[in-house]
Amino acid sequence: MDTLHLYGTHLHSRLLLGSAGYPSPSVLAEAIVASATQVVTVGLKRTLAGDGDNGFLQGVLQTLRAQGARLLPNTAGCRSAREAVQLARMARELYDTRWIKLEVVGDEYTLQPDPWQLLEAATILIAEGFQVFPYCTDDLVSCQRLLDAGCEVLMPWGAPIGSGQGLLNPWALRTLRERLPDTVLIVDAGIGAPSHAAAAMELGFDAVLLNSAVAHASDPALMAQAFGQVVAGARAGYRAGIMAPQAMAVASTPVTGRPFLIG
Amino acid sequence: MAKLGIAGAGVAGRLLAYQLAARGHRVTVFDPAAGPEPVGDGSGAAGFTAAGMLSPLAELEHAPPEVAQLGARSLPLWQQVAAALAARLETRADSYLRCAGSLLLAHPSDTGSAQRVLARLKLAPALAPRLASPQALSAAELGVLEPELAPGMHAWLLAGEGQVFPYALLPALAAASEAVWCWGARVSRLSPGRLTLADGAEHAFDWVVDSRGLSSADALPLRGVRGEVLWLHAPGVALHRPLRLMHPRHRVYMVPRPGDVVVVGASEIESADRSPVSLRSAVELMAAAHSAMPALAEARILHLETNLRPALPDNLPLTHIEPGLIRLNGLFRHGWLMAPALVDDAIAAAGL
Repeated sequence: MDTLHLYGTHLHSRLLLGSAGYPSPSVLAEAIVASATQVVTVGLKRTLAGDGDNGFLQGVLQTLRAQGARLLPNTAGCRSAREAVQLARMARELYDTRWIKLEVVGDEYTLQPDPWQLLEAATILIAEGFQVFPYCTDDLVSCQRLLDAGCEVLMPWGAPIGSGQGLLNPWALRTLRERLPDTVLIVDAGIGAPSHAAAAMELGFDAVLLNSAVAHASDPALMAQAFGQVVAGARAGYRAGIMAPQAMAVASTPVTGRPFLIG
Repeated sequence: MAKLGIAGAGVAGRLLAYQLAARGHRVTVFDPAAGPEPVGDGSGAAGFTAAGMLSPLAELEHAPPEVAQLGARSLPLWQQVAAALAARLETRADSYLRCAGSLLLAHPSDTGSAQRVLARLKLAPALAPRLASPQALSAAELGVLEPELAPGMHAWLLAGEGQVFPYALLPALAAASEAVWCWGARVSRLSPGRLTLADGAEHAFDWVVDSRGLSSADALPLRGVRGEVLWLHAPGVALHRPLRLMHPRHRVYMVPRPGDVVVVGASEIESADRSPVSLRSAVELMAAAHSAMPALAEARILHLETNLRPALPDNLPLTHIEPGLIRLNGLFRHGWLMAPALVDDAIAAAGL
């Protein structure tokens, strides 16, 4: 059985889904169900800043329980290690999970991760027993440092959050896969179309995490289903061994009567 | 002629009271507020805090087509109400409502976000023939419509959209209606034909209407969605119509109000927190407003306000009718936009 291992948890779905920006909580619930995802990430920063949940998070948790899926709290909106660590601690207390998607933004416009603050936060949280899912850039050396700090999962970006541009630097992602063969690698952010997710899976990535591509689709539930299917299909394709391309088209059976090209 | 008791004097409750009384029904309205006027601290009806944009087309950015359709039907209904109120109260209709279109704006660096919004708005003509497509404006055309905007902005005119002035219109609906208004009266329980106040007093009616917004959470799966707005005083800064800035991170509008006031809003946070406006929201809203209208730099910050939008799980309005009981709730961020069509439909469905 081909399963995804996330800090000792074995999952059959390789699609992780974000919960922000959906037209409504009902549509989000439909998308979670249609995607068959087993991990849903929820941003807590603004919700927990004041009085807390208005019922939205409880609704998500209910959907997750019914599906046997897990919550992955995230630190979206944090700009420093200190802020992210505080939010992670609060999330652990409230939702009884050691999992944390660590997001520390270094540039407010592109939401590009800050590698230094990220590493600092990861180091602190791992020492406190957290299981960290860092949202990082595709830079090999900063990824290596996160592994050195004790991360077992890395989540490099495909493109800036919400941009839907797909895999902007396939070379860097391929390098990560080749150089870190035993690390769980998840493309997080930048996926716009199902074909982008397929491309990530065919590069050998272990999973993809996406949000806007589903939330902003005209029919989010249908798009969620499409991503669930395409991720599973592309994973199977990767495992099946993709035929190497060659420069010229070659018919797979002889074409009767036309054995040669004359000219 | 029926005897009706309405719980909740927000946009829906007041408009229902006004329309039902105009049809000759005997209407009594109960609301915990001290009176019909706004308090301005976010403790009252969400309609007071709202911008009051009548923008069915622009709301398609994130709302489903039903909302746009209800909004397109409601716009001319509001115009009728404003005209009738003006005649009745000897004021001008444009003190309640103005329809000079609205503008979608984008900074040159954010045209990607703009294209995403415009793609969603392309649905419009199919939804309601009244909704015109966004019309791209040249710099010269934009300069004529809104001379104070930052140079180089991209703009699209949504002709036919408009705005109401909540601080004038909500009190006027109460003043012009023959209903009996019981202020300082919180409804604690209601059932078909029966309504109990917090002080224990019971009232019997032919119909009870529940339009209490979030206070109906005992009966409906409502949640409050936090919204934050701020008021600027900007004398001499011309703004003639609602503006919406399309940006990858923020959703910001600026609407003109009487007295050189510009209302800037609004955050949308999944939290039932009524505490004051956060620094982040204030900074984001003001930075976005200033980027679109540099002339606002010397505007004075009059007021910051937080309120909660009553929303159901599908973020769509609910009209429930059973003998003796009407519920109208879940208007979320579209109360002003949709209320007239919802109220008309509820009255018709109840056979009133």
